[in-house]
Amino acid sequence: MTDTEKTVTENPTLSFTDTEATVCHISRMVEEDKLYFVQMAGAPLMALLMGKRLHAPNTGYVVEEGAVCPDPEFPLPRMMLGSSGAHFRAVQWTSMLMVDSHAALGFMDYGLLAALQVDRFGNFNSTFIGGTYEQPERRFGGPGGANEIASQCWRTIIMTKLQKRKFVEKCDFVSSPGYFDGTPGARERAGLPAGTGPWRIVTAEATFGFDDATHEMRLDAIAPWTTVDEVLEQMEFRPLIAQELDVMQPPTDDELKMIRSEIDPSGLSTGKGDWITIDAVTGKKIA
Amino acid sequence: MLEVITRGTGEFKPPDPDGFREYVRDHKERRLVSKLVTEREAVSRFVSDGDYLAYDLNIASRGPGSLFREIIRQKKKDLWVMAKFTWTDVSLLIAGGCVSKVDVGWMEFGPILNRAVKDGSVKLHEWSNGALAYRLLAGSLGVPYLPMRYLGGTDTFAQSGAILTEDPYTHKPVCAVPALNPDVALIHAHQADMYGNTRIFGAGVSPVEMAMASRKVIISAEEIVDPIEIRKQPQRTTIPYYFVDAVVHAPFGSYPGSVQGLYTADLEQWLAFAAAGAMGKTDEYLENWVYSVSSHQEMLEKRVGEAKMQALRDADTLKEGYYD
Repeated sequence: MTDTEKTVTENPTLSFTDTEATVCHISRMVEEDKLYFVQMAGAPLMALLMGKRLHAPNTGYVVEEGAVCPDPEFPLPRMMLGSSGAHFRAVQWTSMLMVDSHAALGFMDYGLLAALQVDRFGNFNSTFIGGTYEQPERRFGGPGGANEIASQCWRTIIMTKLQKRKFVEKCDFVSSPGYFDGTPGARERAGLPAGTGPWRIVTAEATFGFDDATHEMRLDAIAPWTTVDEVLEQMEFRPLIAQELDVMQPPTDDELKMIRSEIDPSGLSTGKGDWITIDAVTGKKIA
Repeated sequence: MLEVITRGTGEFKPPDPDGFREYVRDHKERRLVSKLVTEREAVSRFVSDGDYLAYDLNIASRGPGSLFREIIRQKKKDLWVMAKFTWTDVSLLIAGGCVSKVDVGWMEFGPILNRAVKDGSVKLHEWSNGALAYRLLAGSLGVPYLPMRYLGGTDTFAQSGAILTEDPYTHKPVCAVPALNPDVALIHAHQADMYGNTRIFGAGVSPVEMAMASRKVIISAEEIVDPIEIRKQPQRTTIPYYFVDAVVHAPFGSYPGSVQGLYTADLEQWLAFAAAGAMGKTDEYLENWVYSVSSHQEMLEKRVGEAKMQALRDADTLKEGYYD
């Protein structure tokens, strides 16, 4: 073991933020020839655009402010929200009501968004943390379009950080729906379209899915620089654990270069967060 | 009669489609008359204390920046603001002392908002961006409510004015939201003629439904065009004149936000507002950008300057699709 550690330090190293790692993980999940509904600008949109650029050029996406399948030029503009750069070469410029309806009709295969807190059934919070609804410790911006995206897209992918205060037993506020209490038909009983729900929760260190029957969150894959125990330590609840746990590939040098030169050159969305340094060969963390 | 399964507890103005029709009959201008006014006149005539205020987009992108500042300058009070796909504009209006209630879809958060929620000076009601746009759609159709396929089951629903009911056709549960007819709407556009015929180029949130659903509509436009130009290309009209009460000529009206095809956003200006909020210096910010100048035009001349405006125009290099 000591010998291995010695070798490790002699290999090339890679440093990245947890957000960069998550963007890389999600970008690899992007499925060609599908339609995505992405919430606002920021890391989720960057992950999708990176997937499109690298391996899924014919994947389309809509954004809330009504741009249908834009094809922005790289490097991406610093300000994506509603800018002409963000909407460049769309197939249509329309309105929020129209793209929300596209999701209501079942055209949106995937919803992609970020969350402050998520519980074991994939219900998530973007409204307030701590205190009560009337007297919150910290108030946040609200669900935005997350509620309609998580309700109406077939599969929802949620991006967040692996932290105990984010993977909680009970959300301080359920802004947007997961599987509610997990019972069969819970979403339908709330008036949501059948056959929809959270599909993956993605963090830098771990990827989760949901059990088909119980709708409980299930640990599906971990990064090579962490362990199951370390992952569980960062969660308030204990998820199911897949019988065959996959290993997530760490970001590559090429992917990181792409993020820093073409996807988010200013680093506004991905440059912040906790830095992780790994051995580029073994994928193990270097202290 | 719909049977209600669950009902959110949030406060909302009860839908009144017949009342709205009567307002339209008695107050909306049908004549082709010039509605050109200044920001000052538009806000003093059409924004009243206590109004429900809606606006399309936000201070980041094609929002009515010059009208926000004029509302603050005129110290309008007790507004109920629709925060649908908004940005720091909600905080700006709160900092100006103009707001008592906010319907939340999304807004940029920070110390100004946090303080207002904690000290109870601003009361929030929860919806979502889409739910608020959907309420405008109901308002624009002249119906009292619309069913929809989201919101149900969440705490957002519980804090909203939505209901869950059994759909009389499919007999499945469905959510329904009440129509919203704002007292006043602010919409920033690329072009308008003096009558109010309005052109917006590019994507938007819900400018059409908002204009149709609102009692009073103020358009601010980057450019005033000859009415014959509108009639030569009617396909390009976003909002026809009879919905509109006032037209303000507002070049750089979205400042510090962008207008697609014309100029980019001034990021430094937002950072200045965020920094002022964080350091408790919002009063200084408002003094500099709002109170110490008498108009939008004076702000552009004295606080922004032609060099900065030219730089923002030059930075918007992607014109394709907007003025073709």
